[in-house]
Amino acid sequence: MNQKYIFLYALIVTLIFFNLGIFLGYMFESHRVNKINEFYVNSEMDLLDQRIQEGAFDVVNIDCNAAIKANIEFADKIFEDAKQIQKFEDANRINKDTIFQHKRFDLLRTLFWINSIKIKENCNASYHNVVYFYKFNEPSIEQKAKQRAISNLLTELKEEKGSSIMLIPLAADNNFPSINLLLEAYEVKELPSILIDEKYILTDFNSKEEIEKYLD
Amino acid sequence: METLPIIYLGYMFVSIYFLSLFLILYYVNRKNLFEIPKLTKKYSVSILVPAYNEEKTIERTIKSIFSSDYYLKEIIVLNDGSVDSTGNIVKELMKDYPKLKLIDKKNSGKADSLNHGIAIAKGELIAVVDADSYPEKDAFSNLIGFFDDPLVGVATPFIVPRNDKTFFERLQTIEYNVIAFTRKLLGYVDAIYVTPGPLAIYRKSALEKIGGFDIKNMTEDIEATWHLTKEGYKRKMCLLSVATTTVPKKISPWYKQRRRWNLGGLQCISKYKKYFLKRGMLGFFILPFFVLQLFLGLLGLTIFFYLFITRSLSRYLFTRYSIQIGTPVITMDDIFITPSFLNYFGVILFILGTLFTILVLYIMKKGMLKKQNIFNILFYLLFYLTVYPFIMIASLYHYLNGTWRWR
Repeated sequence: MNQKYIFLYALIVTLIFFNLGIFLGYMFESHRVNKINEFYVNSEMDLLDQRIQEGAFDVVNIDCNAAIKANIEFADKIFEDAKQIQKFEDANRINKDTIFQHKRFDLLRTLFWINSIKIKENCNASYHNVVYFYKFNEPSIEQKAKQRAISNLLTELKEEKGSSIMLIPLAADNNFPSINLLLEAYEVKELPSILIDEKYILTDFNSKEEIEKYLD
Repeated sequence: METLPIIYLGYMFVSIYFLSLFLILYYVNRKNLFEIPKLTKKYSVSILVPAYNEEKTIERTIKSIFSSDYYLKEIIVLNDGSVDSTGNIVKELMKDYPKLKLIDKKNSGKADSLNHGIAIAKGELIAVVDADSYPEKDAFSNLIGFFDDPLVGVATPFIVPRNDKTFFERLQTIEYNVIAFTRKLLGYVDAIYVTPGPLAIYRKSALEKIGGFDIKNMTEDIEATWHLTKEGYKRKMCLLSVATTTVPKKISPWYKQRRRWNLGGLQCISKYKKYFLKRGMLGFFILPFFVLQLFLGLLGLTIFFYLFITRSLSRYLFTRYSIQIGTPVITMDDIFITPSFLNYFGVILFILGTLFTILVLYIMKKGMLKKQNIFNILFYLLFYLTVYPFIMIASLYHYLNGTWRWR
């Protein structure tokens, strides 16, 4: 009996299962993108609230302690979100909307940074702004390895020092005029770099202590 | 989408295709998988036993052949310049078996020995039996019915490893079972691409038409099968016809055997490349299948080395920086990885592959599953099979350099 039609049947079955797999994979990844979007919407609302508080300084007397506390809580939240987003971004293979979400978060974090500077000025807050500028688009193997090590170091510092530092990771090579202006203003020329309290730029450092001395 | 995920998806597509093909073939033919072709006519059968230094096994091989329940016209041992006592053992046996003949010749290789045998064999059918293989009593009778179809050029049995005591031998037993099962299934679509050396029965006129075995080819059995396919002959297999063979006990002879198989395959690809996507099953399935195997193997290895080198370098640099700045080399985030959908896809395919292997072992022989524990099967799938592309690369290297020989 000639059963050569089975070659075609197998192809049809393969196409069905393969496409089903791709579809489920896309749905799975889209779910992650939606989750990031959810983070974003929540963070955006919180930040808007922060911005209103910051704007209200000129109009009414604001409770600085409450503003600082809200700022710290927001910083902690976006720090956790950033870690989760990074994981989803690394794991997504088909749906690359995570890159778009990443860029939105970068802008949100920039806004938060500016807000943080202002709250610090207005309320004389003691926390440190630690902005970590890194290369997002096609970093070399060496840059990637270095960035990963620095990222771990900063995470460790954040966990140790808690609310006394505002850790703000920012992709510096997405060509956003606002971020470019800030890079220029603070003379950040190399990536990765760490900007502490808008004064000290660290590019090459040999130990955790070198950062810690600016944070004590 | 990046390049690597596209390549992974390509591999997955091919894997799903072949898994589907075999499962559909099995489902359609599950009731006649162990069918034996009916014997309606009597054929005269000559047996050719090429032998080179086979003093340890030749006697048992000959005795196994003579224990056959099918009438055999003659058994011709082609002593290919053995320097041990193979010839003397055969001469002794000739006293008890008058149908046994011995041809002593200078060493010229298996294919050339077989061609000598074909020239003097008197049977309508010619069975080739390796001197270290033992056909079971009904091995010939269960195959001969296939030849009632005048288009059948060759029939092949289920080759079972005789030695399956050690872990390494058991891995090969799994492999032989999977090969036999898939070969049987491919037979239903006229896609059998090799009739292995331990035992194959050929129609003499078909062998004469293709000019015998190719003496330049390292795997004369693969070449003959491809040639017969090209000439329009069918290849058949019976799972209830069994011949046992000794599989390599150590890595080194195993590697040499596999390299020879690959080299033979490469020679065949080169010889028949002009029929690619032409001439029935040879051009439309067998050649593309071999080329695809070669391509996927090479691509897979290239990716493997690329990833291995870049990740090792990345890990080294990361460790160096981490130590330099005094931060942990491993964090909890490294342990709890976030899987991609490709990881899930891969795991599902691996589970399906494992289930398929278990199904094969279950179907092929009662008790096989008891002998093979799940660890053997997983090791076979995870490690044993992944060595194939490395052997392929080595074979390709030898092939391109011309640094290969039979023994």
